[in-house]
Amino acid sequence: MNPFDYHQVAEAAAVPARLSAAVRPLAGGTDLLTRLKAGLDQPDALVDLKASDLGWAIDRVDGGWRLGALVTLSRIQDHPGLRADVPALIEAVSQAATPQLRNRATIAGNLLQRPRCGYFRHPGVQCWLAGGEGCPARTGRNEHHAVFDTDGPCVATHPSDPAAALTALGATVTVLGGNGERELAVADLLRAPTEDRRVEHVLADDAVITAVTVPSAPRSTYLKAMDRAVWAFALVGVAAAMSAADGEVRLVASGVANTPWRLAGAEAALAGTGLTPDAIDRAAAAATDGAAPLAENGYKLPLLRALTHRALTAIA
Amino acid sequence: MDEYDLPTWPPGTDLETAGTGETRREAPAKVTGGAVYSSDLRLPGQLYTAIARSPHPHARVRSIDADRARGLPGVVAVIGGEEGGEGVTWYEESVPLFSPVARFAGDEVAAVAATSLEAARDAVRALHVDYEVLPHVVGIDGAQGPEAPSIHGTPANRTADPKVEERGDVAAALAAAPVVIEHTYRTPTAVHNALETHGSAAWWQPDRLTIWASTQGVTQVARMTAKALGLDQSQVRVITEHVGGGFGAKQVPWKDVAIAALLSRRTGRPVRCAYDRHGENVAAGKRGATRQRVRIGADTDGHLLAIDAELVGDSGAYQTAGEAAALWGPYQGLYHCANVRTSVTYVYTNTGPAVAFRAPGYVEAAFALESAMDELARRVDVDPIELRRRNHTGIDQQQGRPWSSPDSLPLIYDRISALAGWDGRPRPAPPADDGVYRGWGFATSDWLAGKPSPPGYASVELRTDGSAEVVTTVQDIGTGTRTMLAQVAAEELQLPADEVRVTVGDTAAGPPSPTSSGSATTPTMAPAVRAAAADARRQLVEAAARQLDCPAAEVTLDHGKLVAANGDTRTVAEVLEAMSPAAVHGWGQLVEADDSVSVRTFGAAVAEVSVDTGTGEVRVTRVVSVPDCGRVLNPRLVKSQIIGGVTQGIGFALTESQVLDADLGLPVNDSLEEYLVPTVLDICPIEAEPLDRPDTVANQLGVKGIGEPPMIPVAPAIANAVFDAIGIRFHELPLTRRRVLDALAGAGPPGDGVDRRDGSGGGPA
Repeated sequence: MNPFDYHQVAEAAAVPARLSAAVRPLAGGTDLLTRLKAGLDQPDALVDLKASDLGWAIDRVDGGWRLGALVTLSRIQDHPGLRADVPALIEAVSQAATPQLRNRATIAGNLLQRPRCGYFRHPGVQCWLAGGEGCPARTGRNEHHAVFDTDGPCVATHPSDPAAALTALGATVTVLGGNGERELAVADLLRAPTEDRRVEHVLADDAVITAVTVPSAPRSTYLKAMDRAVWAFALVGVAAAMSAADGEVRLVASGVANTPWRLAGAEAALAGTGLTPDAIDRAAAAATDGAAPLAENGYKLPLLRALTHRALTAIA
Repeated sequence: MDEYDLPTWPPGTDLETAGTGETRREAPAKVTGGAVYSSDLRLPGQLYTAIARSPHPHARVRSIDADRARGLPGVVAVIGGEEGGEGVTWYEESVPLFSPVARFAGDEVAAVAATSLEAARDAVRALHVDYEVLPHVVGIDGAQGPEAPSIHGTPANRTADPKVEERGDVAAALAAAPVVIEHTYRTPTAVHNALETHGSAAWWQPDRLTIWASTQGVTQVARMTAKALGLDQSQVRVITEHVGGGFGAKQVPWKDVAIAALLSRRTGRPVRCAYDRHGENVAAGKRGATRQRVRIGADTDGHLLAIDAELVGDSGAYQTAGEAAALWGPYQGLYHCANVRTSVTYVYTNTGPAVAFRAPGYVEAAFALESAMDELARRVDVDPIELRRRNHTGIDQQQGRPWSSPDSLPLIYDRISALAGWDGRPRPAPPADDGVYRGWGFATSDWLAGKPSPPGYASVELRTDGSAEVVTTVQDIGTGTRTMLAQVAAEELQLPADEVRVTVGDTAAGPPSPTSSGSATTPTMAPAVRAAAADARRQLVEAAARQLDCPAAEVTLDHGKLVAANGDTRTVAEVLEAMSPAAVHGWGQLVEADDSVSVRTFGAAVAEVSVDTGTGEVRVTRVVSVPDCGRVLNPRLVKSQIIGGVTQGIGFALTESQVLDADLGLPVNDSLEEYLVPTVLDICPIEAEPLDRPDTVANQLGVKGIGEPPMIPVAPAIANAVFDAIGIRFHELPLTRRRVLDALAGAGPPGDGVDRRDGSGGGPA
């Protein structure tokens, strides 16, 4: 591991001034530390946010909940109010990682974790996302990779389960940067990497997430398919949420694209019909509209359709 | 005293201590963290090691520039390159310890000793190794092809000529057979991934070398290390207190031992060298992938007429002394068949070397043969267990003599049918309206080992308080060997087991001991300890006779008392006190295998599964296992081995596979996150009932090993249950979501290991 300096901060307001491309924030560290050990990230310094007032409260707010950035996945999982009001988030959190990791991992950090692509993480491979050239997964072992939007420079999938649930729930993040505070939809926070941004989010180097705001959706769910019963990233996950505010149903899949993937075709099939069995059948069939699977991951299409069907049936 | 000079232990339940479910004696230390594993050792002044591994699957090492690494803080020594190994050679090919040609991604090219592990790792990153990259090949199909680079200069990258064994006239029998099942089956490369990685600490002091190793064979490590380093075996002491999992991968020393020893000699300090998880996945052994082209011919009643098996296995880049995968075994021996041909070829590939992994060869072959037998049962419409009964043999057909336990398989069939409720299972598998189908599957197994692996030696000393101390060098690799040996000695000496102490795992404590492999520890060491205890008892009785002034034949030992024919009695403690300073020191051995008998350990498993046809999820919902390990010395320990074997079998069937990128020649899942060993939530209720029938032809105690056999039938039983559920026959493992969903969609490309033609079972059309 490259040597780095370690700082703690007490006040969230002081964080942006401390951060830069070479000085990165540390919260739970469940992903960052593994990247440091692998040499993927080589910051000059880390600023530890855990001792700060960044927030670890879970508060009821108008129309939903506000989670401090440092709230751990375990605390979300165990929160009875969230369980009743945003079950999709609870189901996503409780199927993520392991109890030990959930005790440590924060909700904000979870959104910003990097892909688990075996090539990206391999010390002996320098793929485009890791700062090198090319995408060996595109022609290599891509059983776990993207099936949507596969024309870009990278076909890794976003690893977060809560990100898909929060996107379906219409959640927002509060971002504090050098230019002050702003509110950003999770759907806009997470973006496929581009030639000049080799990362899956749009946060500036001096920005930090201070809170996540989740609108209520008691009729919501997150279903996840893994190759073992626990401690695996999603092959495919589907979040379905009916907004408590306007009754609109949002469908978002994990494990299928660089970011949580909005199932627009499926949503369109539901428009104006309600969750009738026929509409659910049509929506599930449309879930894979536009998919362009790779050589080894065509199986994700029937899996996505099946989970979409089951998720919609569960909230109908 | 020699085991073979003693009478056979009585059959049945006439024993007092042997056969009871004693809790393993190290359990409290293990669950409280008090047990010291090799990786927990901290020796005074100890240095830590990191290994530089080739990032290329095939490359010539042109040069290694270690100047910058040597200058880093904490770095004490760097060794590497051909000369860095100081003449030490490795693997069966006798390549230099740091080979000038790296033949797999992960091949060791240099090593650093430093005052901390972090400093050692930093120094490895600071090494500049100049490689000339060579063409590589991974996968057995490619390695045999005409375009493949030659890895060791052998024809078609074969490790040796095909090993062909044939009896009868297979071609004619197949041609005449009214029913023929023919498929090519494939099994994946599987990695042992024990929780404790390979590692050792070495301390080279003048004239002697002490090694604390995580190993299945202290004697083997001492022998091979002495040979590699040019020492006398008596100069090398190897100690193994606890082992965090071996499964075959630790039955030979790996390079950690030699690297630690060389660095210790060079630095004069104790040096610890342990593999990280990456090294464990790429360079510490594996179960090599197989391709098995199998044809079985039968009559319309299901009697086997011919078996033909063309078997190819992946040896990896080198051969290891611990690789003993006997792929031909079940084809040649499990069933009655007059015409059998097996051909086994191992090929080199630019991947990590293969080594024994829990019933090597048999696990792979059983998947193919037992899938074919299930298919045959469907084809001829005979119950799968009945089909096995019709093809039963009590004869070792290769040797032409009976098995040591010729009737154990029919008894296993009886027992497992009753225990599982086989005859009451739903037939055909019930329809599902939620897309989740259920099925039952069956498979049989045999295993060539589980018999003594001599020599085994033990001593038993009686203390003046009447307690006993068993000393043997054999290691306890987590199977409960200590506990089992205490029970054996206690039985012979009529002591409570907790009055028997056991010392194991130290070559300095006595004569050589067998490696814990081939499920041989119990059948080798239990008889030796029993003989030592019997010898101690004889000496005790003779001493008592002298003190009681009567012939020894008139003195009997009765639970702590020695009683003469006339009723005169001494306690054991009194006899020992009176003879002091002389002591009772019994000696026992099992030095010869009885080659006149053919020993097999048989077994069977029933699996119940559910298959979610929407999501491709296969869940094993129940496994019933009935193995035959002869007399059960400790039912709790035997059950633990069955649970472990079934668990690894479920992993082999459903999740475990090393995924290689052919272009890069690298595994892309070299971590516990991506290489999916089953978690506790993947495991179902496991019902285990060993036959518990002493095999007194095998040895005087009637014991056989249990470590390996329970894994063998699990994967085919699961695959057969999946067929029962959904009517799809899989010819390749593991049964991931991808494989199942592709098969359900009929979308799999040719050769993907799926065959839907055999759709005669239940499940969806």
